[in-house]
Amino acid sequence: MNLRQTQKEATRRRVLDAARDLFETVGYEETTVREIASQAGVAVGSVFTCFSSKAEVLSQVMQERLDDLYGELDRVTPHLRGSTADRLSSIFALHFAFETRRTQLFLAHIAAAYSWRPGGSSVPYGRNPRLRGTIRDCVVEGQERGDVDPALDPDMIVDTLMAAYAWNYRLAAWENAGPERMSANMEQQIALVARGFSPVPN
Amino acid sequence: MKHVAAVEGQSETRVRMPTRRALAKQQTRAKVLAAARELFSTEGYEGATIRDIAAAAGMSTGAVFANFADKSELFREIMTTDLAAVVEAMTEAASRGRTVDDALLKIFSAGYGFYKSQMPLARAALGLSWSWQDGQALRALASIQEIIDLFGEQLALGVERGELSQECEIKLRSQMLFDNYLANYPQAIFGGWSLEALQARSRDQIRVILAGARRG
Repeated sequence: MNLRQTQKEATRRRVLDAARDLFETVGYEETTVREIASQAGVAVGSVFTCFSSKAEVLSQVMQERLDDLYGELDRVTPHLRGSTADRLSSIFALHFAFETRRTQLFLAHIAAAYSWRPGGSSVPYGRNPRLRGTIRDCVVEGQERGDVDPALDPDMIVDTLMAAYAWNYRLAAWENAGPERMSANMEQQIALVARGFSPVPN
Repeated sequence: MKHVAAVEGQSETRVRMPTRRALAKQQTRAKVLAAARELFSTEGYEGATIRDIAAAAGMSTGAVFANFADKSELFREIMTTDLAAVVEAMTEAASRGRTVDDALLKIFSAGYGFYKSQMPLARAALGLSWSWQDGQALRALASIQEIIDLFGEQLALGVERGELSQECEIKLRSQMLFDNYLANYPQAIFGGWSLEALQARSRDQIRVILAGARRG
């Protein structure tokens, strides 16, 4: 890496750190690129040499956080024990606990997926392929272990769980629900679905 | 306008006058709402400004503010009107349901059918629903609870007809049905799903949510 690249990377790092804090404390819509630059101690122009827009800054901030979350998920999933319902509850609880460390940031990301503003590369909410994949694996493993009816299409179950998962973030947005309440709700919802997917006794 | 003149000539003129003013005000509101609906659909909620809405309606921003406190009130008013129509369509559709699955699917479909021609507005509403203040205001609209209650009524009917078990957790199930109903909008908005594709997915979701309640 030459000097210019090193400097650009340092600027990028400072902008991302400043933006993450401002989006969380002040809010995404309320934060201007000028404020991000000032907090990062760089010129406004330097921000735009690294990012095309505020939406791209948000998208990068989220990507970094998702990498952290997936790291946690990869460490935890091999150690999951118990019924499929228990395992599903643990995976969702991990997400709630992680995202509520910075709830405003997460909500801004969801809202940005619906935004008309150009430059946002955020994935529409609920279509996060990693979480979906993890949940699907969990259901398929349940079918292999025998506590999920093998005749069912796992994707049908995954769709329903993902929709329930989204509702719990609305609780965070509207009622300031914390991770415990979200996880407790999700557990009830998983239990309800599980009563339908457990194999029919002969 | 002969009829109006005749009415004015009568003794109740004093009573009628405010009504006419109210009518004019109503027309102004309708004009603003039509312009706002158009702009929210093309520019999104954040992108549509009161200034643009006023210009599109052919009036001053002051005239807009005389009728609506702010942009969020304008949006709420549009949602209130639309959702009332959605609830009506859903209620009618549910009454034609032969089984609990069928009635629930008809409720989903009535909603998707209503928004099919105005997905950009649904997109604006869904985006806004995630914001702290405006999201709460949208959630508080009476129609939202009416839709959830409609799901509950159909579940209760299913229990009555013996299609679902007595222990059917109606409250939790109604909420999950509503979440699933909403969760399919992104497919329609970003994936361009057809009404048929949405219905097929909804049918599966309803089956998964009801499965546990079919057992004794």
